[in-house]
Amino acid sequence: MIFQLVRRLHIAPVCRAADSSLLAKLRKKTGYTIANCKKALEMHNNDTDKAEAWLNDQAQAMGWAKATKLAGRSALQGLVAVKFNKNHGALVELNCETDFVAKNDKFHRMIEDATAACFKFAHTNLTSKGPVTKMELDSEQLGNLSVEGGKKLTEVLALFIGSVGENAILRRAECWKANDKDVKIAGYTHPAPATPGEYSAGKYGALLAYKQPGDTEDIGRQLCQHIVGCAPRKIGDKERDKPAKNADDEICLIYQEYLLDPSYTIEELLQQNKVEILDYVRFSCGEAMEANLPGVEKQSLDTVQTLQ
Amino acid sequence: MATISLAKSLVNPALKFVLKQSHSSHLRCSVITPVSSLNIILKRHYAEKQVFERTKPHCNVGTIGHVDHGKTTLTAAITKVLADLNLAQKKGYSDIDNAPEEKARGITINVAHVEYQTEQRHYGHTDCPGHADYIKNMITGTAQMDGAILVVAATDGVMPQTREHLILAKQIGIQHVVVFINKVDAADQEMVELVEMEIRELMTEMGYDGDNIPVVKGSALCALEGKSPEIGSEAISKLLEQVDSFIPTPIRELDKPFLMPVESVHSIPGRGTVVTGRLHRGVLKKGTECEIVGHGKVMKTTVTGVEMFHKTLDEAQAGDQLGALVRAIKREQIKRGMVMAKPGTVKAHDNIEAAVYILSKEEGGRAKPFTSFIQLQMFSMTWDCATQVSIPEKEMVMPGEDATLHLRLVKPMVCETGQRFTLRLGDMTLGTGVITKINNNLSEEDRIKLLEGKKAREKSVAKK
Repeated sequence: MIFQLVRRLHIAPVCRAADSSLLAKLRKKTGYTIANCKKALEMHNNDTDKAEAWLNDQAQAMGWAKATKLAGRSALQGLVAVKFNKNHGALVELNCETDFVAKNDKFHRMIEDATAACFKFAHTNLTSKGPVTKMELDSEQLGNLSVEGGKKLTEVLALFIGSVGENAILRRAECWKANDKDVKIAGYTHPAPATPGEYSAGKYGALLAYKQPGDTEDIGRQLCQHIVGCAPRKIGDKERDKPAKNADDEICLIYQEYLLDPSYTIEELLQQNKVEILDYVRFSCGEAMEANLPGVEKQSLDTVQTLQ
Repeated sequence: MATISLAKSLVNPALKFVLKQSHSSHLRCSVITPVSSLNIILKRHYAEKQVFERTKPHCNVGTIGHVDHGKTTLTAAITKVLADLNLAQKKGYSDIDNAPEEKARGITINVAHVEYQTEQRHYGHTDCPGHADYIKNMITGTAQMDGAILVVAATDGVMPQTREHLILAKQIGIQHVVVFINKVDAADQEMVELVEMEIRELMTEMGYDGDNIPVVKGSALCALEGKSPEIGSEAISKLLEQVDSFIPTPIRELDKPFLMPVESVHSIPGRGTVVTGRLHRGVLKKGTECEIVGHGKVMKTTVTGVEMFHKTLDEAQAGDQLGALVRAIKREQIKRGMVMAKPGTVKAHDNIEAAVYILSKEEGGRAKPFTSFIQLQMFSMTWDCATQVSIPEKEMVMPGEDATLHLRLVKPMVCETGQRFTLRLGDMTLGTGVITKINNNLSEEDRIKLLEGKKAREKSVAKK
């Protein structure tokens, strides 16, 4: 730091050059927009430390301002992330405007934080009722969860919007908890990572709760993959539902052909492996209709100009 | 139209003046026949269809950049500046924005096409909203991009996702990028310099020649509004000069070595064997040496005559439907699906990598995804061949997605990078793709494995 100060004194006579190198340094260090970095430097007489502190201070407010400004824009790209262990599971959808942003590291970190928050929520706050406790969170409830460090998700999101300059919406989440010892939870996202882990993110995701005795091979992940791939609308009941005439139009899970081996139906697969499916949920990124969902603010009346 | 624009201006006052502009351009179109020889792609005026005059070399460019950095404004500004020189049809902001869904080969792509010309060249200009749209565009070949203009706003500088934009450019094979730093009217000199520095740094990091890439600074909005010409219209002209000189003109099909996929073969008594087909590229003359490749065979021969519509021809050009008389080859030796080409220019391959777009159900594809080892029929040029698919990066491919696929053909067929093909399963088109890489041909052992069924594959896995 002292060295920096001395160097600054050295080049002080060439004032302009010094300014722009400071600006470059500040920008590189903080990553805030050039216009804001410049404003910060101007306000603090080129004191980088103070400028940086001010920028960090302002980031939240600027994020909010940007988020409010962009709130009406449709965001249908993004990711679906899943995190699960044997008894708990969380499935989260985070949307943004372009798929470029969805590929960015910051976006990935953001959704990982959100998923971790939901996963934690699944551990603590749920009361038992039946074999699986399910909590559906909408945009607002999701935003009220807090990440590690105590910040609310909405605050983290605002910071994110401020940095990428695109609208983003915490769309929805599912938090599951198995209340029975022999109930297991599995999750899957597509595209799946090379090594299966407890967290992954992709364009599609699913959570599954099932019962399976320990002596057969665990097929939870494969079943989840099938659900993501074939998008059944319900599990189906052998007594009430009849198989569709065309196997490709089948909407009941139990009558569908197994994705990884079409010579079996799911029903046969379940019998073979002694699996009982309790429930499942499938998210496809961007499938939710914006108009029906909270989180998208309608255009406020002030911005509409009346014709005179 | 009037009511719609009224409603629009109600919603967004900023659109107002642009709409007025586009209004007047409509009027001009319908009342006076435009002097320029331009064919409008975005809005088709069927009543007075114009003839496209091929006087300049054609080149395809596209804009990439952040949503708020002014890609659309730049496109509108380019058409305005060129319209003043009578080289383009002016496009309003609303004509370009909200890229219409284009249906090409049954596949819907969000893309806006605009057309203009400079003194040197004629351009097709593409703008898509998202990554997947550009990939789709590349795979289906609706508008191959020969170069790109990266738009960055001076106020924001390089954004986190600018990296993703450049990755995309790399991925779809764009080697020439010109940078336009927009919104300099809202920034000062040192900010602009800083943005330029950052951009060059990032470009170098992404594998482009960052130090020598042309960077033009200006304000598309000023150009559009006709204000401060030094950063407005002059900057746009400078940008176009750079695009003219930096992005090379693609090699025309006519200048490449000749290639003709064989459609059918006839035996004409007293004359010999005639192969027919459409000359894909290059020029074919009587007396040319040629090679006929495909279905596991390679034959060398000479073209002793070229005919079109039962008349002999000295020279056939790319696009011509022709019959070629070949020396000393029997009809039984040649089959549909083979390729006649200049010796040594094409080879048959059976192990390829490709970028493939899988049709969604709405586009006529399958509702279900597929996994590795699916057997599909691959159609390209005039041949078709059974092929085994493996997916290196994913566990399955969903409808409506693009993916890299490894394709193993049951017999070697003529393949080259950039060649397009279709994948079908039974009576259904599953996807369309473009070959990106040719791998070494399969060994005998691999081929046996390929022909073995699933049971054998499982057995060999179990043995291990």
